Amino acid sequence: MVDVGTAVMTVEMIQASQVGLKAVGAGLAVGLTGVGTGLAEMGIGAAAVGATAENRDMFGLALIFTVIPETIVIFGLVVALLLLF
Amino acid sequence: MAEVISGPAPYIYVSTRLRVRKAKLLRAEEYHRMLNMSLPEITRYIEELEYKTEIDELAPSFSGVDLLEVALSWNLAKEFQRVLALTPGAMAGFTGAYLQRWDIANVLTVLRGRTQGFRPGKIKEVLIPAGSLDRAVLDRLVVEEAPDRIAEGLRGTHLYPVVERELSAGIESGNFARLENELYKEYYSDLIRVARSGVRGGNEFLQYIQLEIDITNMQNLWRLRSGGATGEIRDFMIPGGRIPVEELNRLGSAETTDEIVDALKKRTNIPALQDAIEELRCGCSVRQIETRLIRFKLEQMDRMSRRYPFSISPVLVYLERKYYEVYNLRAIARGKAANLAPERIQEHLVI
Repeated sequence: MVDVGTAVMTVEMIQASQVGLKAVGAGLAVGLTGVGTGLAEMGIGAAAVGATAENRDMFGLALIFTVIPETIVIFGLVVALLLLF
Repeated sequence: MAEVISGPAPYIYVSTRLRVRKAKLLRAEEYHRMLNMSLPEITRYIEELEYKTEIDELAPSFSGVDLLEVALSWNLAKEFQRVLALTPGAMAGFTGAYLQRWDIANVLTVLRGRTQGFRPGKIKEVLIPAGSLDRAVLDRLVVEEAPDRIAEGLRGTHLYPVVERELSAGIESGNFARLENELYKEYYSDLIRVARSGVRGGNEFLQYIQLEIDITNMQNLWRLRSGGATGEIRDFMIPGGRIPVEELNRLGSAETTDEIVDALKKRTNIPALQDAIEELRCGCSVRQIETRLIRFKLEQMDRMSRRYPFSISPVLVYLERKYYEVYNLRAIARGKAANLAPERIQEHLVI
């Protein structure tokens, strides 16, 4: 005979673990895209600082180029929010 | 605190800075415009560029072509020292080793100037302290009377072993050409050693050095031939390039230019270098051939810096381009002072 009490507990546990896995997925989405953005910005940022050090007029343009990879982490954030809500 | 340098970011930073600086160098059309200006106009023109500080600083002490020449030398030394200061880690090692050629030039200028009886002040004007021997060391050397005292002043530097070995022969013959050759050979062998020391980016540096050695050997080969030298020219050639010294020595006694061009072309597999060698058939003067070879070297260096955008190449390309900017400005200034026609001056420019 199946123990009814145990079966209910298992379904709750599965539901709880699904929520947990969603949270892990959301964390990975933001975390990994954050790392990707950081890697991309490393090169662009170094070049931007170099260009700005030589020519201050470059500052605005260099800043825009530096933040372009931020889109990657925004995609990650969107995916995380879709997962959670 | 120890300096922490890792990853490609320092290379990207330095390469970008020097690319921006390279873009600020004079362009061909600006040289053409200058060819039609008078000397005071040229001085005013370059005062509006990167040379303002030096010209303002030196204007009370010098005038005319001397002002321009000393300002250019000062600017070159300052610029090279600044590049050395902003390069980090392994790049600084390569750049420092590369700039040591200025130590050789300065020490030989001091030796030659003092043995020919020039005043220390006059010699100081032409020194370019862009290498590891700074102005303070050179000021100490320049006041020494005797060549062996100058050599003694170099004790502890990288030049001392060769200077000590070759100086007495140079004093006896009254000619420091052999000392100069030996110093440059030592310099290039040091560069190759640094490039092969296993430091990251060494391979690109080695390619660059080998190209330079090949071009310098070719220039020397043409100079020696036009000077009528036959037989053994091994001593004048720098080992370490792609074209072996033995081959160059054999070509020194070749009958015709075609023979040399064919042999050199067989020795290289770089299409651009083959094209450059092919151009040597032109039957031009040694001066024109040298200018062509220098132009080829610069183009090839530009190509390498595009192939390896974040390496030592952009730094070295900037150093070379800057040197040739000063070289061109000096040629224009000296040409104008000697009232040469613009066409004659243009032949000497590396554009």
